[in-house]
Amino acid sequence: MKDTMDEMIEEFNGTVGLEKGVIINVTSISGSSTLHDKLTMAANGDPGAPQLPDITTAYPKTAVALVEKGLLVNLEEQFSKKELSKYIPRFIDEGRYAGGSLYVFPTAKSTEVLFINSSIFDQFSEDAGVTYDDLSTFEGIRNAAALYYEWTDQKTPDIPNDGKTFYVPDSLFNLSLIGCEQLGSRLLKDKVIDYDNPDVRKVWESYYLPAVQGYTAIFDGYASDLAKTGDIVCSTGSTAGVLFFSPTVTYADNTTEEARLTILPYPIYEGGKKIALQRGAGMCVIKSDTKREKLAALFLKWFTRPENNLRFVSSTGYLPVTEEAFGDIMLQEIDTVSDDNIKKLLTVARQMQTEYEFYISPLFDGVDVLQSNYEETLRSFAQSSKDSYQSLLQEESPQMALSDSTGGKYNEFRKVAIK
Amino acid sequence: MNRLREKVLCKIYKSEHNSVTLRFRLLIFLLMLVLTMAAGIIAILIFTGVFSAGITESKDRVQSALRHSQEEISSQYGQLSLSVVEFSEVLSQSLEDKLTGRKLTIESLSDEPEQLEEIIAESYDTTFYSLQKSKCSGAFFILNATVNPALKNASNSKAGLYIKNMEPNIISSSTPTITILTGFPQIGRDNSLNLHAQWSLEFDISEAEYYNQPMEAAMKHSDLSLSKLYYWSNPCILPGTSEEVMLCSVPLIDSHHNIYGVCGFEISAMLFKLSYMPTDKSYNRMSCMLSPLSGKGLLLHRSMFAGGYSAKNISEDYSLLKFRKKSNSFTTYYTDSDNIFLGFHEEVQLYPKDSPFYVEDWATAILVPKEDIVDSILNLNIVIACLLSLLVTGGIIISIFFSKKYLKPISAGFEIIKSAETEEAPKTNIQEMDDLIHYLSEYKREQLKKAEQERYQLTMLEDFVEKTKTLTPAEYSVFSLYIKGRSVQEIAGQLFISVNTVKTHNKHIFSKLGVASKEELILYNNMLQEIGLKLK
Repeated sequence: MKDTMDEMIEEFNGTVGLEKGVIINVTSISGSSTLHDKLTMAANGDPGAPQLPDITTAYPKTAVALVEKGLLVNLEEQFSKKELSKYIPRFIDEGRYAGGSLYVFPTAKSTEVLFINSSIFDQFSEDAGVTYDDLSTFEGIRNAAALYYEWTDQKTPDIPNDGKTFYVPDSLFNLSLIGCEQLGSRLLKDKVIDYDNPDVRKVWESYYLPAVQGYTAIFDGYASDLAKTGDIVCSTGSTAGVLFFSPTVTYADNTTEEARLTILPYPIYEGGKKIALQRGAGMCVIKSDTKREKLAALFLKWFTRPENNLRFVSSTGYLPVTEEAFGDIMLQEIDTVSDDNIKKLLTVARQMQTEYEFYISPLFDGVDVLQSNYEETLRSFAQSSKDSYQSLLQEESPQMALSDSTGGKYNEFRKVAIK
Repeated sequence: MNRLREKVLCKIYKSEHNSVTLRFRLLIFLLMLVLTMAAGIIAILIFTGVFSAGITESKDRVQSALRHSQEEISSQYGQLSLSVVEFSEVLSQSLEDKLTGRKLTIESLSDEPEQLEEIIAESYDTTFYSLQKSKCSGAFFILNATVNPALKNASNSKAGLYIKNMEPNIISSSTPTITILTGFPQIGRDNSLNLHAQWSLEFDISEAEYYNQPMEAAMKHSDLSLSKLYYWSNPCILPGTSEEVMLCSVPLIDSHHNIYGVCGFEISAMLFKLSYMPTDKSYNRMSCMLSPLSGKGLLLHRSMFAGGYSAKNISEDYSLLKFRKKSNSFTTYYTDSDNIFLGFHEEVQLYPKDSPFYVEDWATAILVPKEDIVDSILNLNIVIACLLSLLVTGGIIISIFFSKKYLKPISAGFEIIKSAETEEAPKTNIQEMDDLIHYLSEYKREQLKKAEQERYQLTMLEDFVEKTKTLTPAEYSVFSLYIKGRSVQEIAGQLFISVNTVKTHNKHIFSKLGVASKEELILYNNMLQEIGLKLK
């Protein structure tokens, strides 16, 4: 993304920028967490904080903080209604503060999809009779994961219970959030997790139990890291993660294997609705003077022109933000995309655009802490139960070992997680 | 009187048609003054170099930016060179201890992949600490060993660790975003680090100058200390990655001069861009460049750039940026496709004199597209020219206004003079004009007085002529001779009458004409002759 942004900015500077007398200078590059801290520091005028730029990428929570300090430009003043009507409405709506003025302009939107290493899956599929269709539900993924564990375990008959993990979700919180939505419930009630909701428990167990059994990975990092070393076969995560999937799997002995990537729409829980998460960031214009604000908006208009938007999308894995780029232009241009994985991703994104509803994460003070606490606790519980399960397997049947290692853990978890 | 008025009017009429008006003369005079002043100002501006100040100022700005960048680059590259030597010393010592403790040599490590992974994992802290201490975007070390010597390309595959700071511009971040570009994935999992998108397990050193050059130098120059053996690579894209980087590497050598491999630091294109972006706001497209210097120019394809618009955009195969130096002016930089920049460059010393790499010349350059400088100078001179034009136009308007205003009372004075009412005329408050009006008023009064006297005399003579008509023929004969100056006797003789008769006629003549003496009679006659009146 950094390289593409850099190239596009240089192109803007050499063309439209040159004509209009404006040069975009990148003053800082940050990841999402650092970006939030830096912008908050700058907005507060903390000592040593950097000066606020004219344009910044911002995630919703950061944008809210900046809006409350009156630092952001209402972009409806810079875009006509006709111009805004060209953008995908749900992306524009996400950038409105309290449903009113538009402060975050959609530039890097994403959703979640299922990434599969087909090179491994195809071998497994042939032997185990599992198909790609089976991966369209979380229940199907769990069944496939169980079979994969057995399949890999059998490859080393002398070492018992060393089967490999099959799946990992990039974000456990997002999995629970969307899972509940798909099942027609809500994960959160009054800004806390509604543990009494049976759907919340169902979704929780859909990760916890296969994780204990070694079917699903317990991993605090990007799923693509595990994919690089062949430690998983499939994962759910942001479309923007597509570039992190390597074309090869490298094993510990430095041997490599081709890794063809297949991308499928986000799985659903059986009987659930097709709902996926809408995520990603946008760009905000910081208040300065009329001329600078207008020129900043000029860059946003240029950057999100269908042809430029598609170029950005084609090399990053983010979604197009205009109806035109998502529509005919994408159909025309999709063959020109050099990266096969991006091509597959855009096809799936187009399919999801028509078939899925998109859910935007709730935004309130403390949601970050709630999320990280939920995920860390769940991983910790899963790891601890897994260790216990592995140990019990020496003496008990897998069913019994699972029951003994996981019994009562949900109630225990909710007590710990609520703290 | 009427004749006099006609004469004056006639003169004014003639002056209006044959001469230049006073107002016009005044206007021309004032305009000449304004133009002379403007010419004087222009001369002063030229003499004091104001018109060429734009060039001087531009030069100063670019030179100042160059000085700043040059100092920054020299200092930070120098610091990094020192740090990499320190990194090597610490890591070499640590590796020597680890190998000795395990009774291994660098050569035998390839046969002990688990030990190799362990040693590399144990060296993570040193590498991370060195990365944190230095202003760089990555730190690495490469050991002359591989986890699987049985592989086809094993001779070009070397184990090691390469960690990258994804936000190198954030100094002293409490939570740096470090990723593993090359190395064992378990190191990442143990230290909560993600793998880089283009992660690889080992280094491919087949075309790695940053590995081969210092290794060769260490073998060739065993007498040289580490501080002479560091090597700055040309900017390059490492195999499997997408970002251009410049690497500073130095051999890892133990106390017995066994060469373990190399270690080094990375300056990414983005770090360079964010660190050395020219801060001068006068030229949006000013860019900074660190480039190898050849006799003919700057090698664009081996350069690092900083700035929103850089010379790397100028051509697709951007290879050589030629330059032409001029004394007291900008150096011109150009390519074969005529992309022209103005700016300056200065050599930067990356190596000590006794380094095997000392022969390499590098330069820091500050460049601005020529049209930007030309435009800025032109704009400045246009502003000066506009101000001068404004001054001259203002001068002309003021001249017109003042010439009109100044002559208004004089014109009013003339109107007063033209009118008959000079005596009751208001004061013009211009002394000379009031004096003139007063003089003309006095003159007119005298003329009137004189005319009055003439009219009185005329009436008296006309009366006299009428009275002569009452004389009898005999009396008129005597009168005619009298006014011719004849005496009584001469008249008596000429008319053949007695003296007494002449005296009697005289008495009647004097009485009828109302005169008292012969002299008075002659005076009347003379006066009549003066005005051309004749007695019948």
